[in-house]
Order: sequence, then structure tokens, then C-alpha cells
Amino acid sequence: MSDVLARSARSAGRTLLTRRRAYAWAAATAVLLAMPFYLDRFWLQAGLFAMAAAIGAIGINLLTGATGQLSMGHAFFLAIGAYGYCVLAGDGGDGLTGLGLPTWIAATLAVGLAGLAGGLFSPIAGRLRGAYLGIATLALIFIGQHVLFNAHDLTGGSNGRDVPPLHLFGLTFDESEAVVAAVPFGAAEKLWYAGLVLLLACGLFARGVLRGRPGRAMNAIRDHRVAAGVIGVPVARYRAGVFVLSSMYAGLAGVLLALVFQRTVPDYFGMTLSLEYLAMIVIGGLGSVSGAVAGAALVSLLPQLLTRYSDALPLVSAPGSGGVAPGEASRYLYGAAVVAVVLFLPGGLVRITARRGTPTPGTSSGTSSGETA
Amino acid sequence: MNTLTRATAAATALAALLALTACSSKAKDGDDGSKSAGGVKTGEGVSGKTINLGVLTDMTGVYATLGKSVTQAQQLYVDQTNADGGICGHKLKLTVRDHGYDPQKAVAAYTELEPKVLGFAQFIGSPFVAAVERRIEGDRGLVLPQAWSSNLLGNTYVRVIGSTYDLETINAIDFLMKEKGLKKGDKIGHVYFEGDYGESALKGSRHMAEEAGLTVVEQKIKPTDNDMTAQVSALKKAGVKGIVISAGPRQAASLVGVAAAGRFDVPVIGNNSAFAPQLLATQSGPALQKNYYVASPTLPIGADTEAAKKLVADYKKAHPKDSLDNGVVAGWTAAAVFGEALKKACADKDLTRAGVDKALLTIDAFDSGFGVPQDFTDPSSPSSRQSVILRPSAKATGGMKVVREPQAAKATEGYTAG
Repeated sequence: MSDVLARSARSAGRTLLTRRRAYAWAAATAVLLAMPFYLDRFWLQAGLFAMAAAIGAIGINLLTGATGQLSMGHAFFLAIGAYGYCVLAGDGGDGLTGLGLPTWIAATLAVGLAGLAGGLFSPIAGRLRGAYLGIATLALIFIGQHVLFNAHDLTGGSNGRDVPPLHLFGLTFDESEAVVAAVPFGAAEKLWYAGLVLLLACGLFARGVLRGRPGRAMNAIRDHRVAAGVIGVPVARYRAGVFVLSSMYAGLAGVLLALVFQRTVPDYFGMTLSLEYLAMIVIGGLGSVSGAVAGAALVSLLPQLLTRYSDALPLVSAPGSGGVAPGEASRYLYGAAVVAVVLFLPGGLVRITARRGTPTPGTSSGTSSGETA
Repeated sequence: MNTLTRATAAATALAALLALTACSSKAKDGDDGSKSAGGVKTGEGVSGKTINLGVLTDMTGVYATLGKSVTQAQQLYVDQTNADGGICGHKLKLTVRDHGYDPQKAVAAYTELEPKVLGFAQFIGSPFVAAVERRIEGDRGLVLPQAWSSNLLGNTYVRVIGSTYDLETINAIDFLMKEKGLKKGDKIGHVYFEGDYGESALKGSRHMAEEAGLTVVEQKIKPTDNDMTAQVSALKKAGVKGIVISAGPRQAASLVGVAAAGRFDVPVIGNNSAFAPQLLATQSGPALQKNYYVASPTLPIGADTEAAKKLVADYKKAHPKDSLDNGVVAGWTAAAVFGEALKKACADKDLTRAGVDKALLTIDAFDSGFGVPQDFTDPSSPSSRQSVILRPSAKATGGMKVVREPQAAKATEGYTAG
């Protein structure tokens, strides 16, 4: 009797929760769609950087978070996406190699190119584990940097090369102003919607992968490789496949970043970028899509915001007066925020919402990540 | 939650959104932003009685020392100008953003400041200037980069102050040939950084080698290479009679020190970024004072001119603990150029971005007090082709003294970076 009552109460609670969640989603969607009409370019650009970072972070979270393969070479695949797009779409007008393909084909091919590069590396990725794989992927960064600086015809050398604007459905994502509801739409406003669509598609796809059979297989490989093999998971094939998929996510993030930057510069695709991506998934939450997005938003927005509001930060002195300079202060704060998240939210930012969702804490502590997507 | 309510919610949201955009501050209202106060036309970046200038600097990254000196010198210029009553009755105000040599932060900072400022008195990092170059063309605000790469030439709104690295290198080799016994047929070593700075300088040495019949022995290094032993032995083996170094101060100190220790006694000359006064206190100090020269676009901070002495005194007063280096001169000169353009624009009653650009194009012999007249009439060439040759000296203010007054080598005439 009481059993039935409890069950119906629980189901009522659940519908309430789903409804509340749907409203939250609708509100969030409306806000995101409205942003280009109100925010100025700085905010849109910051948001676009965050979206691109989120796509890349979802990719590395599939690899490192869900499958347990440490990769330090994520920046290399981002560079392949960004430069691949420039080479394929460029018309050679600036004296650099350009194939002059339609830009949407170039963007697709650039993502494929990043996947191909990941595929070429996957025999190594299939053999190495843990820190060894980390070191091996580190080599990619050094090779990548060398090529970016020296293959002048392809990359434009140290000053980089211009990124051709994307054309899609008769729309050009560049500075040419289109006026929508009396608001001038430049590159940032138009790309905002492209970024939202891409991020949504990437997020849903990754969620599908993680929640389905492949996701369980990947988590099994991460938690116990031998056991996964014994229950029939083709370990080597899965590891290679995840590496390719993660590289393609990085490639897409690279294309989007290039479109936002409007110029690719080799300095950007260094080791710091790879480390930032690792920081994103650790801060956000390993192995989940929402964790990757939350971490990407925090890691890519925080430094920009701290720089912007550096004048208003406490304990900061004017440049040159001997105290802590605004730039330094923003770095300290960034470091402190990272440490605070790791210390007080060991499961990442997704734990904040997850903790509210699960009424019995403690049961989820063992298999911490994975299921919170 | 069924599909119908969800669709309704979406439709409501969309309707609300379209209704609300009517009051968005971004909506165009037909005003192009230019206003007129007291007969002087003003536009973006001038609010009330303040002229806002942007500073995109690096105080936490690889160019931290340079960025600090340049910014402090520019702040000093602004403070003094404001104390004298400002320009056109307007006060100057610098808004400083430290990008820490990070492309994302640099582009974000440009995007943030661009709508609020008249122009940029400083922009460190030529890759980042290149990154926003197309937007600068559209925004039309004057940008004065703290970089001397020939790649930056040709844009009406990005103006390099002083000779670029390639011209400086030509002048440096000219000095070695005229005064240090280098002659036709000799080999000359060139140690340069991978990237913009080094490659720009290399263009200069290749041009000069062709003009003067020299052979260049190239040694490319990375900014992370600090030990020049391998390069010195390679150059010694090749039998070079002089060395040009287009790298950082650390590399120059290592090169000169290693060469001196190996009794490889050839003159070494560096670009202006290849020296810092702090080097004189290191073990390489004596060797640097004996065999090292530096080519610079202006007279050093310790120059014997009225303006230099005043700047040294004022800067020391404002920042007693900081060292005096060439960044102070570069920052001061850039701020003074911007100030001069503003004064001219004021005289023409046009303090808009277009007015400032027009005013700058009329400045043909501006001297900030450091010996080299700057000519801004042609956007496709740097504002000067002259270089000063300096040598390190522990006794001089700023650690440098002049050995050859400003002059342009014959080979710089008709040279354009290709």
C-alpha cells in the first residue's frame, strides 16, 4: 500500500522535474538565440571562443574522460582543422597555397583531414597507454609547431594566414552587414548561430555515443582494459576509433576558431592550448558532455573576463606602481579558481547539478563520471 | 511536457525576442556617431572632454620587460600632456589591456577596446596585429605597433615607427663594412630567430649581401635556444668575418661570451631587441663591451639631448626602481607621434579617426627628441630608414653609448621588402 503511494509520489515528482527542466531548456534557448541582438561584439566573440572550445573539449573528453587515454596533442588536431580549412578554401590570392574549394566543402574536408591525421596516429595510440601515450602525443605538438612555423607556403609562417569567410546557403559569414530587426549583423552575430548549431549537433552526437553501447565499452576500457577485452570489447579497435573521433571534434573546433579569429597564427596552437583542454575536462567533469561544455566555458571565458575587468579587481595597482599588475592578478585568480574547483568539486562542475539530482549521495561516488551527460 | 507546449513556448520566446529587439541598444538609429563640440568634429573614442587611447601590451608574457617600459613611458607622456592642459582642451586617457602574448586574449582585447578608443598607441606582437589587420582596415582607427617587421607595412592605419628590422640589418652590415673592416667577398654569419622578427632581418642581410658581394652563413634558432655554442663553432668553421644576431638579449650574451671564450675575435652586431642593460652585470659583460654593437632606430635613452635628459629624469622620478631601456624611448616616441597627430587633427578641427589619419599623413619630419626625423607621409614605407649604431657601456645611462650617429646606408635607398 505505502509502496504504491511512494511510487506515485515519485513519478509525480519526476514529471515535475522533467517539466521544470523543459522550461529551463526553453528559457536557455531563447536567451542564447537573443544574445546577438543585445550583446556587443566582445561578448559574442568570447561566447564563440567558448563554443569552439566546448566542441574541442567534448572531443578530448570522449578520449581522455570516457576512454582513459591521455592526449597532449589536442592542439595539433585543432591546428589541422584550422589550417586545413584555410588551405582547402583559400583562393591563392595571397601567394599561399589554396585549392579554392567551396567553403562548406572545405570545412567538412578539414574535419575529415583532422580525423585522417588521428587515424594515422592511431596505431601508436592503440599500443600506448597512460603517461606513455601522453608523451607520444606531446611529440605531435612539437612537430606541428615546427611545420606551422616553417611550411611557409601552406601556413604563412609566423604571421599566419587569412581565413576565408564561410559561405553557406547564400549567406556569407563575414563583416558585410546584414540588418536583422534593425540590428546590424556582422561576422560575430552570424557565426554565433552557426556555432550554436554545431555545438548542439556535436553535443547530441557525443551524448548518443556515450549513452549507448560504444560508451559503455569505452568506460569499460578505461576502468579495466583486460576485463573489457574478456567480455568481448575489441579494445584496440575502440581505442583507435575514439582517437579518430576525438581528432575530428578537434578539427571542427579548429575550423570554428579559425572563422572567429579570421586569421590563424601558429603561436596559438602550442602546448598551453593542449593543457587548457585537459584543464577544461578536469574542471568540468571527466567523461560527460555537459562537463566538457561547462569546463570549456569556464576556462575560455575566465581569462578574457579577468583581463576586461582587470581595472576593477581588488588589490590591483596601476601598471608600473610596483604592486600586482592587472594581468598578473587575473592569472592568480584563474589559478585559484582552478584549484578551488578541483579541491571542492572533485567530480567537476557537473557535480553541482548532479548532486541536486541524486537524492542519495555516496552511491554515485564510486563510478564518479560517465553517466552524468 | 508534450510537443505542443514546447512549440508554443518556442514561438512565444521568438515573438518576445523580436518585440524586444526594438529596444536593443545595438539597433541602428540613423546617427553615425559624429558630433561637434566647440567647432571640433569628434567621433568614436572621444567622450566629453576625454580622448581615449587603447594600449594592447604584454606585461606577463614573453615581452614582459618591453611591455612594462613602453607602457610606463606612454603613461608618463599622457600624464605630462594632461598636466599641460591636454590636447584641444581634451584630456588623454590610456586604457591598458595586458594580453600576456596570448592570441585569444589579444584579439578579445582589441574587440573590447576598439569601439571605445580613438586609436591604439601601442600594440605588442606582430602576429596579433596581423590577426586583426583586416578589421583595422574596416575600423580605421590608427594603430601604432611595437614591432618592426616589414610585414606590417602597407596598411594605412597600421604605422611602424622607425626603421624596420630589414633596414636596420642593412645599416648594421654597412657599419661592419665601413668601420670594422668587412669587405667584398667576405662571409658574414647571421643568427636569427625563427619567426617574424628574425625572418624580416634576414631579408635585410640577404639584400645587403647581394649589393655588397658578401656571403651570408645562416643559423636559424628558436626563442627557447639559450646556448649559442653550436652556432659559434659552426660560424667559426665557416670562417665568417662578422656576425649579425637577430635574437633576444640572452642569445646575444651567450653568442658574444662563447665567441670571446674561444678566442673567436669578430665584431658582433645585433638588432635593437638583442640587448638589455641587465646583460652588463653578467659574465658576458666585459666581452659585450669589447666586441658587441647594436643597431637601433633612435638614439638611446642615455643620449646627450635635451629631451632624452628630461625623459630620464622624469622616468626615474616616476619609476625609481625600474631600469631604463630602449622600450622607454620606443614607448615615448610612439605616444609622442600619436600626440602630434592629435594636435594636427585638432588644428584641422577634426578629431575623428579619419581626421587623425589625415593629420598623420601630413607629418613628414617629426622628432621626439631622439635624433631621427620620422616621416609618415607614405604608408607603404617605414617612417625612417636610418639607424644609430650603439655599443654597450657600463658607465652610460641605459647601458648604451652612440658610436655612429643616425644615418641610412646607401643600400637602403630603393630597397623595398619583398
